[in-house]
Amino acid sequence: MSAAGRGEDVVAALGRRGHRVVEIYLKRGRSRRVGLEVGRLSVVSAREEGWAVRAGDGDRAFLAGGTGAPSPDGPWPEPRPPGLRLAAPVTGSPWRPPDDLDLPVMGEAEGQALLEDLASRLAGELPGAQVLQARLEEGVAEVSIASSRGVAARFRTRAASLYAEAVRGGGRPVRAALQVAVRALRDIDVRAEAARLGDRLRLREAPPESLRDRGELLLGPEVGAALLAGLLPLWVGAGAEERLRPLLDRRGRLGSALWTLVDDGRLPSGVLAAPADGEGTPTRAVTLVEEGAFRQPLVSWREARPPERVASGCVVRPGWRDVPARGPTHLYQTPDPEVSVSDLLGEIARGYYLIEAGAGGRFDLEGDAFELPVEGMRLARGRAVAPVTGALLRGRVSSLLRGLRGVGRDVRFASHGGGMIGSPTLLVSGLEIVSP
Amino acid sequence: MPLPGFDRAAVAAALAQVADRPEDRAEAFLEASERLVWAPGEEPAPRLLREWGLAVRLRRGGRTWLASEDGLDDAALGEALRRVSRAGPPLGAPRLGLEPAPEEESSSFDELAAFPARLERRVRDHHVAFPMWVRLERHRRWLQVVAPRLHPEPESEALYSLAVELPFGRYGGLFPTLGDVEAEAVALSLVRLFRSRDRPPPAPGRAAVVLGPGAAAVLLHEAVAHALEADTLAMTGNPERAVGLQLGGEGLSVLDDPAGAPPGVRRRSDDEGMPVVRRWLLRDGRVEQPLADDRAADRWEGLLPGAARRSSRHEPPAPRSTHLELLPGEASLDDLLGEAEGGLFVPEAERGALEPVSGRFRLTFGAARRIRSAAAGEPVGAGSLSGSVVELLGGVRGIGAEAVTGGAGWCAKGGQRLPVWACAPSLLLAEVEVA
Repeated sequence: MSAAGRGEDVVAALGRRGHRVVEIYLKRGRSRRVGLEVGRLSVVSAREEGWAVRAGDGDRAFLAGGTGAPSPDGPWPEPRPPGLRLAAPVTGSPWRPPDDLDLPVMGEAEGQALLEDLASRLAGELPGAQVLQARLEEGVAEVSIASSRGVAARFRTRAASLYAEAVRGGGRPVRAALQVAVRALRDIDVRAEAARLGDRLRLREAPPESLRDRGELLLGPEVGAALLAGLLPLWVGAGAEERLRPLLDRRGRLGSALWTLVDDGRLPSGVLAAPADGEGTPTRAVTLVEEGAFRQPLVSWREARPPERVASGCVVRPGWRDVPARGPTHLYQTPDPEVSVSDLLGEIARGYYLIEAGAGGRFDLEGDAFELPVEGMRLARGRAVAPVTGALLRGRVSSLLRGLRGVGRDVRFASHGGGMIGSPTLLVSGLEIVSP
Repeated sequence: MPLPGFDRAAVAAALAQVADRPEDRAEAFLEASERLVWAPGEEPAPRLLREWGLAVRLRRGGRTWLASEDGLDDAALGEALRRVSRAGPPLGAPRLGLEPAPEEESSSFDELAAFPARLERRVRDHHVAFPMWVRLERHRRWLQVVAPRLHPEPESEALYSLAVELPFGRYGGLFPTLGDVEAEAVALSLVRLFRSRDRPPPAPGRAAVVLGPGAAAVLLHEAVAHALEADTLAMTGNPERAVGLQLGGEGLSVLDDPAGAPPGVRRRSDDEGMPVVRRWLLRDGRVEQPLADDRAADRWEGLLPGAARRSSRHEPPAPRSTHLELLPGEASLDDLLGEAEGGLFVPEAERGALEPVSGRFRLTFGAARRIRSAAAGEPVGAGSLSGSVVELLGGVRGIGAEAVTGGAGWCAKGGQRLPVWACAPSLLLAEVEVA
């Protein structure tokens, strides 16, 4: 019997035991990871298969999960408060699976060649730079969701990633790392990633200088995505309108008409693109902010209050061990296809180009303030004139919302809490860059 | 749900077919695990997750192949062997020879569900009350390593983890048991956070710091254990060159002793099946034996294996500490506080991080006390301590006499989440960077 067929048996068996609502989630996948660490090669090939059942009624519920195939006989834990609500079936628009789903998963030789190419290109980019460790991973998975309410969804996914750490220097060595998530290995541009890694090492070699300045700021996609992640409570969840309201201008807008934020669980080329979310609700694109005007927050069916708050399939569930939770699928600032990063650089007479965001950003949305560790370079007449390391980008959240002056076409996504957040390069003013 | 019995000889024979060159090393790793999660208020609150699986690993020179499976049967073993041998057709019918699993106690949530109320009562005993969201987990794992020439006994682990969200911060802890003693320890920590909630952070600058046993455990994990892991040392050169370096003063002795860990998480062999070692990382401040797995010990002759850990069958083992011990000194806590007038007393740390290439560490804390008149004075808000490992260990000025055993937290190095334990006394550090 297939896993999906056995899942249906489990739903039926638990129904007979008196559980009014039952859902089963099954995921099966395989992946290969090739790693280079201090000159040693490791190859991990994993085959994973697991399931999770949520069952109960309006007062009590449980979750049980395990590897392999579920048995209708359990064992099942005793349900306890609170109760469980499950999504009703919804008809989504037709889904055309991406054409990369049937590509073979990376082979050992292919992965090794790419990692060696990365190391060699990095050394060419920046003499003396060495890859300390690097990992490439690629995998495919099949997901199946069924519930006693009639939800039935089945889809396949694919993802690949690169993680690399490099070092340079003897007496005072510096280290830099990068992480990239894409749909397929072929989407990783090794030359570009080696250049990024080299840029980061160069920046870190410069001693931090005392800094307190304002000016035009060009925020690279990683910095833009980190800002959007810090501001998620303004766009996500039922209380977003209340949180955002004090930050809006007198016309009730974000300030800059260049802000257009979209969440799209079906984003073509998106790492998580799928026809349904983690509860089987069809995914779709939903516009959260349109040309500076707030339209609606990102909400799941639990928080939806049409017509003001319309649900989208935005329940994220990375695997069977995870409890489904509402969150961004691919949430991003839309790019301007007509504007290159060079165009934006050309607009800066004096300012900063910040290309990397560090951990530990603080976002006080009630207090209208934020700060984010950043690195990049000082600009004069569109050219980099000095590195900037160990700095903080800070200011009012409302100033960030009002100060967006340009948007590039180069969107990049970063993983965040099981979803992806993306941004193109942003040109902003009204913020401060300081030494901590 | 302990591991079922199986035919070790048959598995060892199958591995011997894969490891067909003299320098080859192959092993099978069989794993069962259970996680009970109690998340009151969340939907659903009780969660039971059970896993069975295996992995086969082959090392040949500088290369390693690992194949993992979410299944514990002949087919899973055969498939894993086939993938590590990179052979086309399956190897000749390897057999696990599974026997029925032993009877086990039922998995009840009662113990977990009773703890939040017990904790709230303990907090009220301190004459304070505040809202809290408690999440508890019980983790159990059963392991068995099989290799052609190695026959370690099965291993098991059982522990509890707790996370508390507060309006003014968060707390996390690991415990081998969950009773009144643990409820009181957690309550004390929460009350400390409560009393520091509106206090300003410490003034930036250099100051003497007394670390309580909990904070000392986290610091030692970052600044001694991570710094002396063979894979960390290999990032900047030959790990053997670290042996003999004088990093701290006399009296600063740190061991890793998995067999001395609290009952329930004690180990006789590591996750490669090698016997664990009572390992002197630092003896009187001098590096004696870095943490190494079998791969590192093969490459560098001066290193001893026995410190390999893996978070699951899907991850390759790596050298990690299990249970650190800082040998106690002779000072009382009052003595240490008396040597740090005007400095900070940091009873517990929230988290720590080591930058492996530069050797700089950072320790963050949610609450501290200013040291006044040789005692813990007014509460201070959240802050951090930072510096280089060499500065830190060279700056140890006093070691407490009373060591406390407990969880040092979850270690997340390399994406592998592993529980780590420590037995540490209080520690006086001279001139640490406070922010």
